[in-house]
Amino acid sequence: MSPQPQAAVGAPLSRVDGRLKVTGQARYAAEHDVKGVLHAVIVDSSVGLGRITSIDTDAALAHPGVLRVIHHRNAPKLPYLDNPGSNNPQGRRLRVFQDDKVLFHGQPVAVVVATTLEAAQHGASLVEVRYDAKKPSTELAEAKPDEPTRYARGDAAAGLRDAAVRMDLTYRMARNHQNPMEPHATIARWNGDKLTVWDKTQWVVGTQTELSTVFDLPMKSVRVISPFVGGGFGSGLRCWPHTVVAALAAREMKRPVKVVLTRRQMYFGTGFRPSYDYRLRLGSDRRGRLAAMVHEMDAETSSYEKFEEAIMLAGQMFYSMPNVSQAYRKMPLDVNTPLYMRGPGFANASFVIESAMDELANRLGVDPIELRLRNEPAEDESNGLPWSTRKLRECYSVGAREFGWDRRNPEPRSTRDGDWLVGMGMAAAVYDPGRFPAQARVRLDADGTAVAEAATIDMGPGTYTSQTQVAADALGLTMRTVTFRLGDSLYPPTPPHGGSMTMTVVGSAVLDACNKVRGQAIKLAVEDEESPLYGVEAGDVVVRAGRLHVQGNPTRGETYQRLLTRNELTHLEADGAYAGAPEPARHSYFSYGAVFTEVGVDATLGLVRVRRMLGVYDVGRIVSPKLADSQALGGMVGGIGQALLEHTVTDHRDGRIVNASLADYLVPVNADIPDLRAIYLEGEDPDADPLGVKGIGEIVQVGVAPAMANAVHNATGRRIRELPITAEAFI
Amino acid sequence: MHPFSYTRASDTREALDAGRHGGRYIAGGTTLVDLMRETVERPETLVDISGLPLREVRATQGGGLRIGALVTMAETAAHPKVRALYPVISESLELSASAQLRNMATIGGNIMQRTRCTYFRDVTADCNKREPGSGCAALKGHNRTHAILGTSDACVATHPSDVAVAFAALEATVHLLGPDGERRLRFADFLLRPGSTPNREQAVRQGELITAVEIPALPRPLRSGYLKVRDRQSYEFALTSAAVALHIRGGVIREAKVAAGGVGTVPWKLPAVERHLVGERPSAALWTAAADKAADGARPLQHNRFKPELLKRTVERQLRVVGGTK
Repeated sequence: MSPQPQAAVGAPLSRVDGRLKVTGQARYAAEHDVKGVLHAVIVDSSVGLGRITSIDTDAALAHPGVLRVIHHRNAPKLPYLDNPGSNNPQGRRLRVFQDDKVLFHGQPVAVVVATTLEAAQHGASLVEVRYDAKKPSTELAEAKPDEPTRYARGDAAAGLRDAAVRMDLTYRMARNHQNPMEPHATIARWNGDKLTVWDKTQWVVGTQTELSTVFDLPMKSVRVISPFVGGGFGSGLRCWPHTVVAALAAREMKRPVKVVLTRRQMYFGTGFRPSYDYRLRLGSDRRGRLAAMVHEMDAETSSYEKFEEAIMLAGQMFYSMPNVSQAYRKMPLDVNTPLYMRGPGFANASFVIESAMDELANRLGVDPIELRLRNEPAEDESNGLPWSTRKLRECYSVGAREFGWDRRNPEPRSTRDGDWLVGMGMAAAVYDPGRFPAQARVRLDADGTAVAEAATIDMGPGTYTSQTQVAADALGLTMRTVTFRLGDSLYPPTPPHGGSMTMTVVGSAVLDACNKVRGQAIKLAVEDEESPLYGVEAGDVVVRAGRLHVQGNPTRGETYQRLLTRNELTHLEADGAYAGAPEPARHSYFSYGAVFTEVGVDATLGLVRVRRMLGVYDVGRIVSPKLADSQALGGMVGGIGQALLEHTVTDHRDGRIVNASLADYLVPVNADIPDLRAIYLEGEDPDADPLGVKGIGEIVQVGVAPAMANAVHNATGRRIRELPITAEAFI
Repeated sequence: MHPFSYTRASDTREALDAGRHGGRYIAGGTTLVDLMRETVERPETLVDISGLPLREVRATQGGGLRIGALVTMAETAAHPKVRALYPVISESLELSASAQLRNMATIGGNIMQRTRCTYFRDVTADCNKREPGSGCAALKGHNRTHAILGTSDACVATHPSDVAVAFAALEATVHLLGPDGERRLRFADFLLRPGSTPNREQAVRQGELITAVEIPALPRPLRSGYLKVRDRQSYEFALTSAAVALHIRGGVIREAKVAAGGVGTVPWKLPAVERHLVGERPSAALWTAAADKAADGARPLQHNRFKPELLKRTVERQLRVVGGTK
C-alpha cells in the first residue's frame, strides 16, 4: 500500500477529551453512577508489625447507617491463586482479611460498609482493634539483605585498582510516593458469579487477572472499566488490596460497594519509589576515560514480596568501560511493597552515575559534556548490539547551544546574584522503554466514521488523542470522524500503561488494524467495477479525509461512505497487533536525553531554587507535540520534586509514615517551577517499531535530580549526594 | 468526622450564649474542619460566627491599629493602613498558606490555629496536646520541623502561624469578650507555652470570643518586614522565620521589635536581640552580634539540629534587610 499522508500525526492538537475534563463530564473511578452502591471505608493497622488480638465492632455497628464490619474473623476465605502477572513481585502477596497478621503500619485490617460515606467513615473510627505489637524493622541500614542480583563484565576490582583516578562515593535517596491527584478508588458490583469493577488503574488487564485469581473466576467473568485516570505515575500498575476489599465487600453485601482511599491511605495502600543506599566506586585514566565502576545498591522491599526495578541497566550500557561490577540487594522491611514510579530505576541510577560523572569532570578539570563525550560507547557494551538510534551527542550540542552552556563558569561559587549563588549543571538521561505485545480493533462504519478500541489507559499523557491521531492518518479520516475507546477489559488486551510503551505498542497495534481496514477498503474499490478506482493498482490508492483516490490524481476516487453503501456493507473491521520487541534483539533500544539547569542557592539560608531548565530528548518521532510538552514539563517538575522536596518519612519506632499528607509530603508548587523548556530531536527511530517512536513519559524525570545537584555544586562548591537536597545540607 | 450540630450566631449575644453552653466557634474553618475530618477535633456543637460585625480594620486613638477578629487574612494583608504602618503584618500574611486559604481564614482563627505536628494530627499516635497523658511521639520521633524553644518534655510542637510572629514582635493585644465582659491580653500572655499542659494553647476561657487584635502605636518612622525560610517557595510552613521592626532616628536604633517563627512552641519574642540593637548604629557587625543571641536557650532535637544556626542566620538576614545596611 501507498504510505498515507500524515495530517494528524505530528500536529500540535489539543486533547480530544479536553472538553469532557474541563466541564467535569469525564467520569473517574469513584464517580461512576452505580445504582444501589454502598460505601466502604477501610480500617488500617495502627501498629507496624504483630497480630490482631481483638476487634470490637459493637460501637461501629450501632452507628446508624453502618451495615457490616468485615475483618479476618468473619471474612470468607479467598482462593488467592498464584498470579505471577499483574506486576505482582515475587513472593506471597498480601491477602486481605485472611489472617490476624499485621505486616506493616497501615495494612487493611477491617472494612466498614454503610449506606453513606459519612456513616462508613465514622463507623471506621469506632472500630476498636487491639494488637500484640512488635517493633517493625523499617530502616534500610538495619535490614537483612537477600542474595543480591549481580552483573559483571571484565575485572572491576582490578580495573579500579589500576586506575589513575579513583573515587568512592556514597549516595542516599529518599523514598518517594507517586501522589497522583486522583485518589485510588474502586466500585465493585457482582452479577451472579460475574464481577464488574470500575477502578483507578493503569492496567485493566492486570487488575482483571488479579481479581480472577484472587476469587478463582474465569477471566471472562471479570470486567474492569477505567475510562479516565487522574494521574498515576506508576501507582496504578498493580491491583492493590483495596480493590479486592471492594470486590469482597460487594460479594458479602450482595450490593455494589465503593472504596475510595484517603490521601493518607495512599501512602501505605499503594506503592512507592523505594529508598536507596547506593555506593559507587569508579576509576578512570587522567583524561577521564572510564576504566571501571563498582555499584552496590540497597533498596527497600517488603517482607512478603521482592520488588525489583531496572536500577542496574544504566550502569551497564550508558558509558563505555571495560569493567563493571554490580550488586543489587533488595532489603526486606516491614513496609508495604514498593512499586514503579516515574523513570523507575533510571531516575535513581542517573542521580548516582551522573552526579559522579560531574564530580569526576570537576576533579579532572574537564567540561562535563566533554567528559561524557570521551566515554560515549560505539555499541551497547552489555550485549554487543548496535544502537537503534542514540543521538546523545546531538542532545548535548543542541542543549549546550540553546541553554548557553558556554556562559557557565566551571569554577564553583563564581556567580552571584544578590544573596544568591548561581550555578549551572547538566546530566544525561536514558530510559529503557518497554515493548510488549499489544492488540487493537478498528471498525470503519458505512457512514464514514471509525472506532478504534484497545484496553489501554489514559492517565494523563493523552492516549485518547495520540491514538486517534494515529488511527485518523492510517484510515485517511479526519480527527473528528475517529473515536478511540480505552479503559475496558472487553477491548483487545494491551500491556500496562507505563514504562513509556503506550504510544509504541498500542499505537503500532492501532496502526496495524487501521492499515488492514484501509487495505480492505482499497481492495474492495479496485476490484469493484462500479468504483472509479476499478482496476487501479492497490498500491497507488491513498485515502484522505474519508475519500479514496489515486495518488497524485485526487479527482479519481470515491468516499468510504459511497464504497461501503454501494457494496451493502455496514462496516469494515480488523484486529491489529504489535508483536513485541523482536526476538532475538537486533538493536539496543533506549530513549535518551540531556537535562540542563540553572539554580540559585541562598547558602546562608539553605534555599535552593530552580531558575530555568531545558531538556533535550532523543525519543523518536513525536506524535503529538502539545502532549509531549505536557509530558516533558511534568517530568521535569517531578524531577525537581525528587531533587528538592519529596521524602516519605517513616518513624522507625513503629513503622508509621509521619508525613502521609500533601501538607507534609512536599511536592513542587507553581512558585517552585520556573521557565521550563523541552526540545525533541527531529526524526524517528525506524528500528524501534512501526511508528518510529521511543516513548517519552519516563525519561523526562530521569536526569533532572543529578542536573540539579550538579548545578548546586557549581553554585556553591558543595557536593550533595543525598536526595532530597534540603536546608540542612548548607547549615 | 464525628457527628456534630451546627448553628449560626446572628449577633454577639447569641454567639456568647452558645459558647457558654459548650459550642465551638467557627469562622473560616480552614483549620477546624480539617482537624474534624481527621477526628482530631470532635466538637459537638459548632457555632458559626462569620456573620458577626467583627470585620473592621481601624486606627486606634493612640495611633495603633485594631484588626477585627473576622477580617480575613487576605483583607488584612491588603489593607492600606496595614500596608502603610506595619508591612511586617502584610508580608507575614502573604507568605502564609495559599490565596484560597487566605480568602477564607480570619485573623481570630489564625491565632487560634493548632500545630502542624504530624503526630498531633494522626489520632493513632501519642500526643499530649490531643490526649493529655498519652505521651509525646515527636520528642523522640521525627522532629525536623519541631520547636527548639519553649519546649517541654510533654510537647515540642511549633505554633504554625506567621502573622502571630508579627503580632508577638509588635506586642499586640488580644481583645476578648466573654460572659463576664471584655478583657484584654498581651499577645505574650495569650498563647501558652506547653509546660505540662500542652492541651491548653491559649488563655481563652470557655465561651470567650476574640473580637480583635490591636497593634500598639509605635514611633515613626518604623521599618518592618518578615522573612520566611521554608523548603518550598510557597504554601508551606516556616522552618524558621523572623519578624523585625526597627525605629531608627538620627542613625541610631531607638526601638527594635524582633520575634521568630518556626522555632518556638509559641511565636518567639527575642528580647535579648532587641536589647542588643537599641542605642546602636546599624551595621553588618551589629546584625551578626545581635542575631547571635537569637537561639539562646535553644534545645534542638534529633532531626532539627540545624535550626539554631538557621534561626540566627534568618534573624541576621532580616535585620539587614529591614535595617538597610549591607
